[in-house]
Amino acid sequence: MDNFNDDLYPLALLMDELKHDDVSNRVEAMQKLDTIAIALGPERTLSELLPFLLDVAHDDEDEVFAVLAGKLGDFIPLIGGHEHCEPLIQILLPLASIEEPIVRDKAIQSLNKISMELTDEELNTIFLGLIQNLSQANWFSKKIAACGLYKSVILKVNAQTRKNLLAMYLKLVTDELAPMVRRAAANNLPAIIDLFTSGETIEPITSQDWEYISQMFQSLINDDQDSVKFLSIKVLISILEFFDHAKDTLHNQEFLLYSLKLIEDKSWRVRYTAADYFSDIAKHFSGEDLAKLIDPFIALMKDNEGEVRKSIAKQLPSFCGLLNKYPTTKSSILAKIIPVVNELSQDPQENVRASLASSITELSPILQKQNTINKLLPIFLNMLKDEFPDVRLNIISNLSVVNETIGIDMLSTSLLPAITELAQDTKWRVRLAIIEYIPKLAEQLGEKFFNDELLNLCMSWLWDSVYAIREAAVNNLKELAVIFGSKWANTEIIAKILSAHRDNNKSDSMNDNDVEDNDNDDNNTTTNNNTNNINYSNFITRITCLFAITKLVPAISHEIIAEKILPFINELSGDSVANIRFNVAKAYLLIATQLALDPKYRGLIEQDLWKHLEILQNDEDIDVRFYANESVDGIKAL
Amino acid sequence: MDLDTDVPMEDVSDDQQLLPLIGKESVANTTTNAGALVNDKKDLHPSSINQLDEWIEKLSRCEPLLETDVKRLCEMAIDVLQFEENVQPVQVPVTICGDVHGQFHDLMELFKIGGPCPDTNYLFMGDYVDRGYYSVETVSYLVCMKVRFPKRITILRGNHESRQITQVYGFYDECLRKYGSATVWKLFTDLFDYFPITALVDSKIFCLHGGLSPMIETIDQVRDLNRIQEVPHEGPMCDLLWSDPDDRGGWGISPRGAGFTFGQDISEQFNHTNDLSLIARAHQLVMEGYSWSHQESVVTIFSAPNYCYRCGNQAAIMEVDEQHNRQFLQYDPSIRPGEPSVTRKTPDYFL
Repeated sequence: MDNFNDDLYPLALLMDELKHDDVSNRVEAMQKLDTIAIALGPERTLSELLPFLLDVAHDDEDEVFAVLAGKLGDFIPLIGGHEHCEPLIQILLPLASIEEPIVRDKAIQSLNKISMELTDEELNTIFLGLIQNLSQANWFSKKIAACGLYKSVILKVNAQTRKNLLAMYLKLVTDELAPMVRRAAANNLPAIIDLFTSGETIEPITSQDWEYISQMFQSLINDDQDSVKFLSIKVLISILEFFDHAKDTLHNQEFLLYSLKLIEDKSWRVRYTAADYFSDIAKHFSGEDLAKLIDPFIALMKDNEGEVRKSIAKQLPSFCGLLNKYPTTKSSILAKIIPVVNELSQDPQENVRASLASSITELSPILQKQNTINKLLPIFLNMLKDEFPDVRLNIISNLSVVNETIGIDMLSTSLLPAITELAQDTKWRVRLAIIEYIPKLAEQLGEKFFNDELLNLCMSWLWDSVYAIREAAVNNLKELAVIFGSKWANTEIIAKILSAHRDNNKSDSMNDNDVEDNDNDDNNTTTNNNTNNINYSNFITRITCLFAITKLVPAISHEIIAEKILPFINELSGDSVANIRFNVAKAYLLIATQLALDPKYRGLIEQDLWKHLEILQNDEDIDVRFYANESVDGIKAL
Repeated sequence: MDLDTDVPMEDVSDDQQLLPLIGKESVANTTTNAGALVNDKKDLHPSSINQLDEWIEKLSRCEPLLETDVKRLCEMAIDVLQFEENVQPVQVPVTICGDVHGQFHDLMELFKIGGPCPDTNYLFMGDYVDRGYYSVETVSYLVCMKVRFPKRITILRGNHESRQITQVYGFYDECLRKYGSATVWKLFTDLFDYFPITALVDSKIFCLHGGLSPMIETIDQVRDLNRIQEVPHEGPMCDLLWSDPDDRGGWGISPRGAGFTFGQDISEQFNHTNDLSLIARAHQLVMEGYSWSHQESVVTIFSAPNYCYRCGNQAAIMEVDEQHNRQFLQYDPSIRPGEPSVTRKTPDYFL
């Protein structure tokens, strides 16, 4: 008896929860549906839970429906296999015909999932009836639901049924009353055509089938609503792919005309979508046919709508790549397209320029070295000076491809001056953006070249007047240490900062520390400090050195930490400024964490480091004491 | 050019705010001298530190504290602020900032420019609330920082840290909107009475919100004031929070209706008498974020960029290092993706 009650308990609980006044409780209960089905076992799920859910599916809120519809898709194993699918489908059917798209989409998804588990025979009986009913219903949401289900059966029926299905689908595509239905039909059509392309049908596709598809496409491409019409572009691509796959080029002229019609459509949404998929369309044409797409392409680059220009700018590399394949079209890249690219690089809309900037560098392998230098570099240089930061960034972050084409020397003489100039921009966010790309550049340029051209710049950012830049500079040095290694960090960064610090201690005067022997004559325009003249008597300079050195700790060898960094930190532990002393206290924890990994430094931690921390624990400043205590606790916990 | 010129300085209809303060007078006077010492020894309890760190973390996402937390915060803040002096001594290095006026995201920008607290020491010269949309978050954040790091940040009182002004210029309404009642406004305005009114950086730079007063010749006279009260309508404490420097010499009547205008002769005399190098003050919108007056004896610092989201001004802060070198850092409004950019151009009628 007890057992019986226990078994019933989960269902009773669910029913209770599903009757709760608060929707969120009901949603939560619904989310446990699979757990409950598992607890009940297949038989009772089928006999008790599903009938109950059928009631729920007719009377609750959309939020609950959405969860229910999603959960049921995985229910076939929980009800003991596909042969019991019918009650499941009965629950999903009302959900799939609901007007709320979230519920509907989930229900359709689940029905499609279930269809994968069914035998062909079950599909032919249960599913076909379902699709037929929904397709011929009077209400738009049922028709929309139907559109999503065709793809689950279309490959698994015989030729006659397939023809009937396509005839029914054509009615949906041409539905006169509801553009929503036409839209749903258009949206699902590419998937069906793709199935014909790649899937195995029971009986081969006939020309009659294609007659239907063709009629559907004709209807879509001539639809008076642009929200339907623009969907025909994806249909066209699927059709092109089918014929490509079948190696059938008979209809190419016809398709070219359709493509041109869509590309030149009056509605900007259609042109926008055509631009977005331009190369996907163009790749199916070759030679003469491809050449006919060049002028439409250029027309899109000059389109009145910024969104269209933005979209087509992204297609430049792929389309030019296609043109590059054929001698007849290759010459048009330089003759026709590049001049318009130049215009586009000065587009009045900044997001168009940013979009172009993200794709334009990929043109360099297509144009090759000499033309890149002659034609593209001037455009890059202009775009690097663009007032919109995204434009500059997109160019910089895609430079490696240019580097591969024209070589590092050429790149450095032409582009680095522009980067250096930006690195000293008066707007700190521009400087910040450049710093954030330095590690990327460093990887592309290599150590030797980097040391010669960019290292001084990287060091100079440490003395910027804006904290955010100094912080970024510190992070940048750490990134560089990771890229170039501990030894590089020691000679190129640590030694420079430490020797500067020591020199400063030796000389009493504030301003004659020529510590950085660099030939960098670009003074940072926004700071009083420059690399030739670091003022270490200044608190900000000292704390920045401390931050820079501390940040490097995880990236360098224990030996360098023990021999170089620890003595430097010890020295700063007696600094007159409390802010430096408590950051020293914090740094000790970081150093100890690293050195504790190596037993041979245990003595150093226990004597040297500990001694200094104890002094800081008794500091006159409350914050120094606080962080010293924190570090002591942290080290003890190691 | 200040926008406060239209402040009506009428008597408050009810003078309830003055009543609870009378009793506190004696507390302030007896503790000011010994206060610094007492406070220095009292380390915060670890649980309070965790609590404060949590609040700071929450506030830095621009999410206001719960009303009960504001109450606890204000109690903790009174514990700290009541022991500060009328002329709170501040050490170098320090970064000196002007009006913030509830522009929370620009305050975060300020910390990006000057460095985060506590790594950088800060001195704010008042006017944290009113005008901007995030007065509650701004003042909660600054007070949290003050309680968590009393030695690293100094917050002075501005003329807007008052019951009367906040009822007109936004803080009161914002509290009502965000908390559904005036409780939080009451808690904060009661707390404002404890804010120090001036600071002295390394005995050389005298910092305050407004300016000088004809009734104050020496800094010691400021020390003798009873500051723990609502900002009065006249008298030395009122002047320190309301006055402006002016091109005309001597004392003048302020168009604001409170405080005075003072000329170069007054500033130079005050600096000479008190052995000062500079008076740093806020209180007035300046287009470059900072502005010298009186042949560099007075500087105005304003730290609310694009004030009221439409003035198109830059903001600035002043870094003072150990050698008393000064560096001004100017900055623009923070960039906030997703928010429509507000015009930077000042409409003609505004000028």
